[in-house]
Amino acid sequence: MFSRPSSSLYRGAAQGRYVCQACLRDVRVRRQLVANAQCLQLRSRSLQTTTTAEEVTPYRKQLKDEAKKKKLEGGPKASKKKSKTKDPRLEKWELTVGIEIHAELNTARKLFSSAATSSSDAPNTHVAVFDVAFPGTQPHFQRETLIPALRAAIALNCIIQPKSSFDRKHYFYQDQPAGYQITQYYEPFAKDGHITLFDHDGIAPEDGKSITIGIKQIQMEQDTAKTIQRPPSTHLLDFNRVSHPLIEVITLPHIHHPSTAAACVRKIQAILKTIDAVTAGMELGGLRADVNVSVRERHNTTGTGPDNSYYGVTGLGQRTEIKNLSSFKAVEDAIIAERDRQIDVLEAGGIIEGETRGWTLGSKETRKLRGKEGEIDYRYMPDPDLGPVIVGDDVVQALRDTLPELPDDIASKLVSSVKYGLTMKDAKTMVALDDGERLDYYLDVVQLLHKDLENDTALQGSIGRVAGNWVLHELGGLFTTSEEGWTDTKVMSQNLTSIISQLLRRQITGRTAKLLIATIFHGDQRTVNQIIEEENMTLRPMSREDYLATAKALLSENPDVVQAIKEKGQHGKIMFLVGQMVRRSEEGTVEAKTAESILKELLEIPRDE
Amino acid sequence: MSLLRGAERCVAAIARTKHLNAFISLPEESALLRQVQDAETNGRGPLNGKLIAIKDNICTSDLPTTAASSILKSFTSPYDATVIKQLRAAGGLIAGKTNMDEFGMGSHSTRSFFGEVAQGTRNNKRVSAGGSSGGSAVAVASNNAWAALGTDTGGSVRLPAAYTGTIGFKPSYGLISRWGVIAYANSLDTVGVFARSSQDAGTVFNALNAHDPKDPTSLPASTRSRISSVVSKASRKRPLRIGVPIEYNIAELNPEVRAVWMQTLRMFANKGHTIHPVSLPTTCHALSAYYVLAPAEASSNLAKYDGVRYGSRAPGSDASSETKSVLFAKSRGEGFGDEVKRRILLGAYTLSAEAIDNYFIQAQKVRRLVQHDFDRVFALPNPLLDEQPANGENNQVDILVCPTAPTLPPTLKSLEGQSPVDAYMNDVFTVPASLAGLPAVSIPVGYVVDGAAATVGIQVIGQYGDDQLVLDFASQYERLKLY
Repeated sequence: MFSRPSSSLYRGAAQGRYVCQACLRDVRVRRQLVANAQCLQLRSRSLQTTTTAEEVTPYRKQLKDEAKKKKLEGGPKASKKKSKTKDPRLEKWELTVGIEIHAELNTARKLFSSAATSSSDAPNTHVAVFDVAFPGTQPHFQRETLIPALRAAIALNCIIQPKSSFDRKHYFYQDQPAGYQITQYYEPFAKDGHITLFDHDGIAPEDGKSITIGIKQIQMEQDTAKTIQRPPSTHLLDFNRVSHPLIEVITLPHIHHPSTAAACVRKIQAILKTIDAVTAGMELGGLRADVNVSVRERHNTTGTGPDNSYYGVTGLGQRTEIKNLSSFKAVEDAIIAERDRQIDVLEAGGIIEGETRGWTLGSKETRKLRGKEGEIDYRYMPDPDLGPVIVGDDVVQALRDTLPELPDDIASKLVSSVKYGLTMKDAKTMVALDDGERLDYYLDVVQLLHKDLENDTALQGSIGRVAGNWVLHELGGLFTTSEEGWTDTKVMSQNLTSIISQLLRRQITGRTAKLLIATIFHGDQRTVNQIIEEENMTLRPMSREDYLATAKALLSENPDVVQAIKEKGQHGKIMFLVGQMVRRSEEGTVEAKTAESILKELLEIPRDE
Repeated sequence: MSLLRGAERCVAAIARTKHLNAFISLPEESALLRQVQDAETNGRGPLNGKLIAIKDNICTSDLPTTAASSILKSFTSPYDATVIKQLRAAGGLIAGKTNMDEFGMGSHSTRSFFGEVAQGTRNNKRVSAGGSSGGSAVAVASNNAWAALGTDTGGSVRLPAAYTGTIGFKPSYGLISRWGVIAYANSLDTVGVFARSSQDAGTVFNALNAHDPKDPTSLPASTRSRISSVVSKASRKRPLRIGVPIEYNIAELNPEVRAVWMQTLRMFANKGHTIHPVSLPTTCHALSAYYVLAPAEASSNLAKYDGVRYGSRAPGSDASSETKSVLFAKSRGEGFGDEVKRRILLGAYTLSAEAIDNYFIQAQKVRRLVQHDFDRVFALPNPLLDEQPANGENNQVDILVCPTAPTLPPTLKSLEGQSPVDAYMNDVFTVPASLAGLPAVSIPVGYVVDGAAATVGIQVIGQYGDDQLVLDFASQYERLKLY
C-alpha cells in the first residue's frame, strides 16, 4: 500500500544533506528584500509566493470539476437562483459558526529541524532525520518560526502568552511519520483576540455595518507530508512538507451567516498575507479551514433550549465539524449545505449527532466522515522532549512596532486621503489584487504624478482617482483581455504616469491615452512622448465652428437617432454620436466632452442632463 | 597489559560466553582487533583502545540498532548517537550491540526478539541478568568488554548491575545526551554506564558528560556551571551523613538482601559515617506513578513504528476496509512483543480523555512529590530550583543508601509463572531516583551464603547534580566484603 523508504530520502539522510544551501540562500535574500521593502512601505509579497504549475493545478482542477458538476445538475442559473431565494425557515432557526484556519507560516526552516521549507522542490529533498521520525531523533525548536506566528497573533489582536508549550496529538496516518502531530493544546502561544469585519468586507447584510468575531486562540503546529495518489493502491509520500510550521487560528462561534464566515476567512487570509506571515493563500493550498456548524431555534418558548457551550458562548445547538475546506466558496457553500441539513433533521423531529463531516467543492451536501463513536481520542500529552516557549515583552513590542500596515488601514487611507480619493470598492480591490503588487504600482504612479503636476494645483485633487481608474480598469482590462498575469514591467509606472499626466493637462484626448497604453502594453518600446510625437497624437483642438459643422453633418446623416433622442428621450444614444464624431475626425482633434456639449446644444438638451 | 591483549581477551570471552546471549550484533573480529592495534600505536584519549559494549537501543551507523524488537530487526541507523561519537572521539571502540528487553521494557532481559539473556547458571538453572540492560551487564561481568553503556528509565542499568555484581551508574537526568538513544520514556530515559570499577565508570561518564545541542533536554552550559557552583559551595564534611529511607524496609524485601543492607550500614558507621533514618513518604506511590508515566510516554514514542519509512512491515496491505483492520495494526501487531503491547495499551489508556485526569495527571503530581521528598532529606539544595522549600528538618543527609533490588537474581524458570505486576515490583527501589532524575549507582557488596561468595547490589543515591560524590563514595567501598 505504501512505498518503501524512498532511496533518495535515505541517501539524503545518510549523507547528512538535509538542507539545500542554495535554497536557504534564496530565503536569506528574500528576507532581506522583505526587510527593505517594509522600510519603503511597499511590500513585495510575491517574493514569498513560489507559484508553480504543480500547486495551481489542483485548485483549477477543483474549479473545473465544480463547473462540470453544476452543468450536470442543471446549469449555473439553477443553483444561483436557489442561493438567492430566502429560506423562510431561517426566520425560525439561527445558524452559529466557528472557524479553525490552518495557515502555512512563511519561514526558512521547519518547526523542529533545520531542514529548509520548500513548496516545489524535488520530493524528499528537504527532510531531516527527525522529520521522518527516525529512532533516537529529537525535536529542535526553531525559534525564528515564532516571528511570523507572533506577527499574526498581534495583527489579530491576541494576547501573547509569555509561556506556552507543545503537546503531542496522536493519530495514525501515513502522512504523519511520528504517529503524532506536535501542536499547542494545553498552552497555546496566543489567546483572546478578535477581528472586525465591515460591510465592505462582504459580510451578510443582516450583520449590518460591522461585526466583531472573537478569536479563542492561535497555536503553532506541524504540517503533514504530501500524499500523491497512484491508483489503484499506491500512495507516494513527499516529506518535504512534513513539519512545515503552521498556525491554527480558532474563532469563537460568533458567526451567524455563511457569507460572513467566508468574509472572515478571506479577511484573515488578507491580514496574514499583508504582514508576511504566510506562504500562500487558499488558492495555492497555503490555507485550509475547518468549520463548526450548529443551529438553534431563535425563539425558544419551551425553556428547554440547547445547552451546549464553547469557551463562554452558551446555549448552542449540537455542532458538527466540516473538515478541510480549501476555498472561500467552499466555506460558504459547505456551511449553507450543513445548516440546511441540520434544519431538515430538526424539523423532522430528529437530533443532530456530534460528528465530523466532509465537503467536496461543487457538491450540494456534506457527507459524514465519522460519527462520535468513531471520533479519535487524540490522547494529548505534553511533549516530554520540548521545554516551554518563553516570549519576552521586548520581542512582542518590537514586532508590534514594525508590523506592516493592515489591509483595513491601507484601504481606509486610500479612501479618506485627498491624495488618493478612491471609492471603498476600488480601494479594497487595489489592496487585494496581485498580492499587493497592484497597490505598490498604484502608489508609485500617484507619487510620480504628484511630482509631475507639482505646479498644477488645480489638477492635484483628481490625481488619485484618475490614476486608480487607469491602474484598475484600463491597465487591468488589458491584462484580462490578454489573459496574462499581472506584472509591473508591461507598462512601466513612468509610462502610465506620462500618459495620465498629459491627459490631465489636456495635451492628449482620452481616446489617445487608451491607444497609447495599449500600444505600450503590446510591446512598443518607444517612450510615450516619442509615440505622441511620431504618431502625431497631440491634441489639436478643432475650432467651435469645425465642431458645429461636424456635428450638424452627423445629425443629418442619422435622423433615426435624432428622433430617438428627441422624441423618445433616449439620451444614452448621445454617446453613440460622440463616438462617431471622434471616429470621423482626425486623431487627437476631438475631445469627447466638447463634442458632447456641442451635440446637446444642437439637440436642445440642457447641459447638466 | 597491552590494549591488544586486553581486547583479545574480551573477544575470546565473547566466544566463550556466547550461550549467555549478551550480544545481538558484533563487529567483524579481525577489523576490531586491527582498530585496537592501530589505537596502540597512534591512538589517544581517555578510552583509547578500550572495548565498550553498547545497548542495542543506542544508534550506531556501522552495526544494526534493533532495540531487541522484531519491528527493527533489520534496521541500521543512518547516524551515530551523540554518545557513540563521544566514545569514538575519546578513543573507545564498539565491542558489539547488547541484548536487552524490547525497547527497554522489562526487568530480566528475557523479552527480546533475539532470545533471553542469562548471566550463568545456579544449580543448573539459568539465572536472570536483570533488565532491561541485561546484555550490557553480562558483557561487563563476563569480561566481554571493558565497560558498557546501558539505558536506565526506571532502574534498567542499576538492577542488572545489582544482579550481575557489576558497577551500574545512572547519572543525573540531562547530563548525558539522548540524541540517538531510542526513546522509551523521554522524561526518564538516562544513559548509564556499566564497569567493573567505579573509576572506570567515572572515566566513561566524563567522556559523555557534555552539553549536546541536538538533545533539547541536555543541560546547557549555564545550568551545568550553576550545578557545579551549588555543589562546590556545599561544605561537604567527611565522614558523610548517610540517610536510610525507612519506607524502603518493605515486607517483600528478601531477608538476605535486608541483612546485607544492615551489615553494610553498620560497616559504613564503623568507618566513621553517621547513619540517619529519613522518611520518603511518597515512596509507596512512586512505583504506581512510574508505571503510569513510563507507559504513557512509551505509547506515544512507539507510535512512529509503522513500517512505512523503515523497519519491518507485515506483508500485504496494512489496512483494509474489508477486514475492518485498522491502519498499521498488522505491522505493529506482528512487530511488537507482548510486554511492549501491554505497555502501549496501558499508556494509551492513561492518556485517553476519560482517564488522563485520574492517571496521567495524578502520576505527574506524585512525581513532583517524590522530588520534594528527596529535596527535603538532602542537605544539598536542588540546583534546578530557584528557591528551596522552607525546610524544617535539620536531619539532612549527603547520600541515601538502600538495596538496588528487593530480591536476589531469580532463575529464568521461576519467572515463567510471574505476573507482569510481580515483575514491576523489582523496580521499587530504583524508580524513585528515576522520577526525580537523581544520580544513583549500584555497587556489589560481597557476602557468603552456603559457603559460596555472592553479591547484593547496594544503591547509593545523591541529590540532583551530586554525581561526583556518588561516584567517589562508590569507588571507596566497591570492594566491600562482609566476610
